[in-house]
Amino acid sequence: MLKQHPTARFILQRAGWYLLTFLVAVTINFFLPRLGTSNPVDIILAKSTGGLSAQAAREKEESYLKEFGLVKLDGHGNILRDTTIRTVKVWDAAKQASVSKPDTLIKPIKASSLDQFFTYVKMSLSGDLGTSFQKYPKKVLDVIVQAVPWTIALQLPTIVFGWIVGNVLGALAAYRRGMFDRVFFPVALLVSSIPFFVFGMLLVYYFAVVLGWFPAMGGYADEIIPSFSFEFFGSVAYHYVLPFFSIFLILAGGQAIGMRSMGIYELGTDYIKYAKWLGIKESRVLIYLFRNAMLPQLTGLALSLGTMIGGALITEMIFSYPGLGMAMLSAIQNNDYPMIQGVTLIITTCVLIANFTVDIMIGFLDPRVKAGLQMGGN
Amino acid sequence: MKLLKNLLKSPMFVIGASLFFGTILVALFAPLFYSVTLDRVGEQYAAPGAGHLLGTDNLGRDYISLLIMGLRSSLYVGFLAGIIATAVGTLLGIYGGFKGGWIDDLLNMLTNLFIVIPSFVVLILISASFKDGRSLTLIGLIIGATTWTWSARAVRAQSSALKSRDHIWLARINGDGTLAILVKHILPYLLSYVFMVFILQIASGILSEAAISMIGLGPLDTQSLGVILNDAKSNGALGDGVWWAFIPSTVLITMIVFALYLINTSMEGVFNPRLRK
Amino acid sequence: MSEPTFEVDHLSLHYLTRFGEKIHAVTDVSFEMKQGEILGIAGESGCGKSTLVNGLMGLFIPPLHPTSGDVKVGGESLMNRTPQDIREHVLSRKVSMIPQGAFNALNPTRKVKDIAADVIVAHEKGDRKKAYDRLGERFELFFGAEAKRILNAYPVQLTAGERQRSVIGISTLLNPEMVIADEPTSALDVSTQKIVIKMIFDLLDAGIFKSMIFITHELPLLRHVADNIAIMYAGEFVEKGTAEQIVFSPKHPYTKALMGAMLSAEPGQKSRKPVAIEGAPPSLAEAIVGCRFAARCPVARPECRQNKQELRMFADRLVRCDYAE
Repeated sequence: MLKQHPTARFILQRAGWYLLTFLVAVTINFFLPRLGTSNPVDIILAKSTGGLSAQAAREKEESYLKEFGLVKLDGHGNILRDTTIRTVKVWDAAKQASVSKPDTLIKPIKASSLDQFFTYVKMSLSGDLGTSFQKYPKKVLDVIVQAVPWTIALQLPTIVFGWIVGNVLGALAAYRRGMFDRVFFPVALLVSSIPFFVFGMLLVYYFAVVLGWFPAMGGYADEIIPSFSFEFFGSVAYHYVLPFFSIFLILAGGQAIGMRSMGIYELGTDYIKYAKWLGIKESRVLIYLFRNAMLPQLTGLALSLGTMIGGALITEMIFSYPGLGMAMLSAIQNNDYPMIQGVTLIITTCVLIANFTVDIMIGFLDPRVKAGLQMGGN
Repeated sequence: MKLLKNLLKSPMFVIGASLFFGTILVALFAPLFYSVTLDRVGEQYAAPGAGHLLGTDNLGRDYISLLIMGLRSSLYVGFLAGIIATAVGTLLGIYGGFKGGWIDDLLNMLTNLFIVIPSFVVLILISASFKDGRSLTLIGLIIGATTWTWSARAVRAQSSALKSRDHIWLARINGDGTLAILVKHILPYLLSYVFMVFILQIASGILSEAAISMIGLGPLDTQSLGVILNDAKSNGALGDGVWWAFIPSTVLITMIVFALYLINTSMEGVFNPRLRK
Repeated sequence: MSEPTFEVDHLSLHYLTRFGEKIHAVTDVSFEMKQGEILGIAGESGCGKSTLVNGLMGLFIPPLHPTSGDVKVGGESLMNRTPQDIREHVLSRKVSMIPQGAFNALNPTRKVKDIAADVIVAHEKGDRKKAYDRLGERFELFFGAEAKRILNAYPVQLTAGERQRSVIGISTLLNPEMVIADEPTSALDVSTQKIVIKMIFDLLDAGIFKSMIFITHELPLLRHVADNIAIMYAGEFVEKGTAEQIVFSPKHPYTKALMGAMLSAEPGQKSRKPVAIEGAPPSLAEAIVGCRFAARCPVARPECRQNKQELRMFADRLVRCDYAE
């Protein structure tokens, strides 16, 4: 039955692939930070146990270990302890020698990495991405939920419009070579080689500091409390301008360059030549051109979505925009491991969803993709 | 070689190559002509003036010195990352494209996996876990290990197209093994393409280093163009209008990347004549 | 006898390069075609065929310019007309082209019926729906029951032969007077070639188009398809006569060389591509002294390099060689 519905097959196949990728991403997301040398718990302990007695410090340590899933628990949520009696050498002042004594410190059993991983997965699926070190006891998910709307509001329109505008300009440049192209091309090349964050800095410097036209930081003015008021939205819009343009312009520049090359290539194809020979109207031929040149651009979009979103996030950091970028930045600066992990997981998920969407779009727009599937291709 | 002569005819190539080699020369030889020092040379964030032509940073150090040191680091990381990414990508791409079949499918899946999972996320995760040991080399290695996907794809497409050519078929009949064929018959054709890929990977490496350093996960105790920007940001230089803290570095990064893109575009024009007028 | 449907009168075409050079791609070509006639044009790559084709359709688009001469379709001249005029009134309606590599000539992201409708809509008033009905009828003529499937398919879903035939159908949709077919059967297997050629004859017999120029390098094929054959070299016709004459008793040294490179003239047998004749065609940027083929001619004499060869009647056909035998 599935064979009769190439569309359904196509969507399912892509969805399956992305699910697999997601699982790999989650695994990577968990294990990579543990590659290195630092133990996150030591860091937070250092912050919070100063001035406590040895007993109190130990209790606090164990409560953290439990909270961050670093120790094995029994069915009731109590810490499992290693009950083997160990001896330890202790200096006996009276005897002036080291003496073996039973170890009174009964240590909790550390959870293995695999155990930690399963705990992590379990917790994540139930919506608990851990607790932030830095903003303890605030939950990671809460911080993320507050930040995500800002990020999406900034990035989604920027990427969509940047892509559209850039491609239209590029197609024009390809079709009407000549003066427009000669001036346009080097400019676009220059603009697209400026990294997002660099451009952001330049815009801030010039328009915010030197000219003072726009604010340099934040999503909205400090004094205003977020509410559904004109004042608030006005401030948001005002703060939106610079970050928007610092991503938009570079994105459009890069797309224009790519589309120009694609357009030039398509102009020389057999089917365009034939369409012209047949006397098909110029407007129609242009549509042929654009729709076909657009497809590799969409593919290129899918490939570079990860980088684009990354660059946009760094732009957020420069503008101290209250989105995921800032959440990430302060997490990094404060060694807030659960937060870093949570944010990267969400970012990866968003990138995967975006990629999936573009993939499906390409499938719908390009009959060759679905046909490849029909003929048993991959 | 004829290729070189054609390239030299293109103004884009000449400009791009001169800019790029110019920066390399400065990075390598400037210390011979200019005293590069990390000592305090003036007041904090002193404006450009005598003794410190591009001003001083928040510790009173001379920016020109910082920039030269930063340039070296950034170029080093860019090259290292570029070499690793190109090598890994080319190897995987050539092998997969040539072999086809399930090996190709497997490598494709692997590549797609790495493409879709954002490399900067991986970069951040790894860097964050090496709190103490972040050297330039480590960063270069990590960038190289996460950005090879593009080269793999590009080279694979070329390799796949080449494998059905007649001289390959002849070589196979002669009994040449896969490795021999790859090295003797496919690689020579791909060299110019791989070189173009390499140029872009260097650019990508420099940008990635700048990005990762800017958010505070860059190399410790070393200057790089990105570290300079990070310092500028965290010391509020942006808001205070201390333009010399970040504009020179910005200009340098953009210029190098632009030069590399020019080189790449001009090479594309020479190898694929239809793109020229 | 009916009027010639297509007349070419001493047509010369040149290209203007960036540096102001004139490349004389076509020199002094003349011929006439009557209703029902198929003229074959043969020659190596670079002999000026493609340029000639553009000229015959009235597509004088820079850097291509007409130097002199005239092209007339059904009595109407194609010279000195605006590109819009040519597009609207000549292309597809009077003169139509079946391009080389026709099976790649279809927009891969558009269904066959939509491409065909685009042609109708670009030339005639009336709504698109009527266009679809019309092309449905037309495609049924030569695809029969398969027509519906083929029209609703994307090019990638069709075989090479089906695509080729669709292109022929689209090119003849508006019943042009003259169709130019550029290598319509190369790169097809023998059985598909037969189907395509049959389709061409059927269309011609049904009066859907009036005459055809069939361009190919496979001379034996032309024997079965063409009434007359013209051999082209370095922008000029070097021999022109009936198909029988050219294939069985070629007179010009170049024609002989082309024929000599064939395996045999057996019907239906796929011939080898001509073995390259030593040397290359002359550059057409400078004026050429003497015979253009002299440098590669196996029987060239010293006089050949001095004296310009003109077309003259010899053995009942036109030959551009004073020493032909």
